[in-house]
Amino acid sequence: MSAIVCSHVDKAYGATSVIRDLNLAIEEHEFVVFLGPSGCGKSTLLRMLAGLEDISGGEVSIGGKVVNDLDPGDRGIAMVFQNYALYPHMTIFDNVAFGLKRQKVPAAEIKKRVEAVAKTLGLEPYLGRKPTELSGGQQQRVAIARAMIKTPKVFLFDEPLSNLDAKLRNHMRVEIARLHQSLKTTTVYVTHDQLEAMTLADRIVLLKDGVIEQIGSPAEIYRRPGNQFVAGFIGTPNMNFIDAMVARKGDGWTLTGAGTLLSLEGSDFYLQHGDRVVLGIRPPDLKTAEAGAANLLQGTADLIEFHGNDALVTFGSGGKEISALVPARECPEQSAPVRYSFEEQSIHLFDAESGRSLRKQ
Amino acid sequence: MKQYRMRPGRLIAKAVLALAGFLAVFPLVWTALNALKNNVDIITRVPKVIFTPTLANIGYILGRDSVLTGLYNSIVACGSAVLIGIVLGLPAAYAVARYPNRFAGDIQFFVLSLRFLPPVAVAIPLMVIWLQVGLYDTLPALIVTYSLLTISVIMWLAIPAFQGVPKEIEEAAFVDGYGAYSVFWRIALPVAARSLIGAIAFSFVLVWNEFLIALMLSSSNAKTLPIVASELSQQGMNVPWGILNASVVLLSLPPLLFLGILSGFLNSVFRQKNN
Repeated sequence: MSAIVCSHVDKAYGATSVIRDLNLAIEEHEFVVFLGPSGCGKSTLLRMLAGLEDISGGEVSIGGKVVNDLDPGDRGIAMVFQNYALYPHMTIFDNVAFGLKRQKVPAAEIKKRVEAVAKTLGLEPYLGRKPTELSGGQQQRVAIARAMIKTPKVFLFDEPLSNLDAKLRNHMRVEIARLHQSLKTTTVYVTHDQLEAMTLADRIVLLKDGVIEQIGSPAEIYRRPGNQFVAGFIGTPNMNFIDAMVARKGDGWTLTGAGTLLSLEGSDFYLQHGDRVVLGIRPPDLKTAEAGAANLLQGTADLIEFHGNDALVTFGSGGKEISALVPARECPEQSAPVRYSFEEQSIHLFDAESGRSLRKQ
Repeated sequence: MKQYRMRPGRLIAKAVLALAGFLAVFPLVWTALNALKNNVDIITRVPKVIFTPTLANIGYILGRDSVLTGLYNSIVACGSAVLIGIVLGLPAAYAVARYPNRFAGDIQFFVLSLRFLPPVAVAIPLMVIWLQVGLYDTLPALIVTYSLLTISVIMWLAIPAFQGVPKEIEEAAFVDGYGAYSVFWRIALPVAARSLIGAIAFSFVLVWNEFLIALMLSSSNAKTLPIVASELSQQGMNVPWGILNASVVLLSLPPLLFLGILSGFLNSVFRQKNN
């Protein structure tokens, strides 16, 4: 049985549609990340699961029970907010215990459970303090403790790490991953940070303009993006896109674009003579070309960004900016001529009109 | 050791501040002193700072039935009106702040507009209304009329106070299983308490010092302290300065007490911090 099912879910504010006919099933114990650019409806969707936003159409069920008309408190969920949302007038102990008090749990048990949760999250020294006396990371840990203590069926995280500095964010990300490993609670996590999504998720739900673009494991989404938007959104540095014309040539195919001619076997893709396509290739898949290599992309190095182990080389080819991520020792001089080639397995082809992937399933 | 030099800008700012503080406090101190002086010491050409204090003025004030009745009327009328203002105004303000409907803007404007009219314009109609109802010169009439003032002031000041409570905090309480009423009591009220106390105190001072409406709505039984105090100056040819000053002191004490109690309450709410 799925933990969360959304069927034909709609959300509109007046005439503005935010989420359109969304269908999604989240399995028990799964860690699902809603990922997408800002304004894609991911937070709205999460808040609809929580019961903080009305559901305009369709049905949401949690644990097999339709929750459309249930109050947030009756849905068996716990939520962690972006800005922590701790109760400023209560001590940390009371913040964590607030939900249990509502459930009329005996005081002795509340004390026991709060202390247990505080121990797990390293909050014991702070139980008597007020939220404002804690650092951002500690406050977020209190927010997580407050969610954990209710032993909910589902955890909802709304961009929980975006208010933290980079170092703390990495640290908390690991803590959240550990927590999920030990608790196995079904988790829905909203973020716009693809690194968080890739590292935490069992499955990523990639949203854009209130529509699901793709659902899949991080590896699937990275390796087999379903369309050009997904391909461009996932992966750092961003994928290169080159407009190209397809032509039949013997048993194979040729692609003409960005001032070069590329020949492919093309057996992995649905291709037709005269198609206009977009060739996608990730910067790390471009390798410094050896003599006599086929499928060359060449130009002069415009911009070199040194990353440590690697360097990102940006060059112009046929009026198109292309980036290649190469080992730092192969890094060319500024304005030097560069030649890069790629393996056919590493490319992605998309229909120029619809943006849909042309890869055969 | 390096000493921080007092720059001229800071010096001037401090001087201005001291002057403003003096201007604000001196009349109060002088009034309090005069309340303890004999009339002879008050009307001397050279102001006297050193004098033989007397409790005669205060004794006279406290010995008059009219003053005690006025004090009682003021406390009952203002206290009840502020209480009604709290009970009705705060929930109304919360509803406007958190659950705005298409009338929310109109409601806010209407509440403010109650304060547009000069009191003198409404005092006469109000007097006629209470005469017709048969409640003229009674405390209930004064309480209801003052409640109009306190509700509107408290509402107007409490709406932004409630809007200042972060919405996520209330949502977290919803997720914790609390309903809208519990969220109001347990989250919104305590979190907004500091601003709300200000609103309540302001409304109390406003009705406590109110003169014109009280003058129009009372003739003998329901006179409030400001009316009684003003009447003290109309006795005979000599202005009894000492008695007037004593009545002013009496008039100023309840708002001070009220503020003291309120801020004490505030401190007790926020004190837990340091344990």
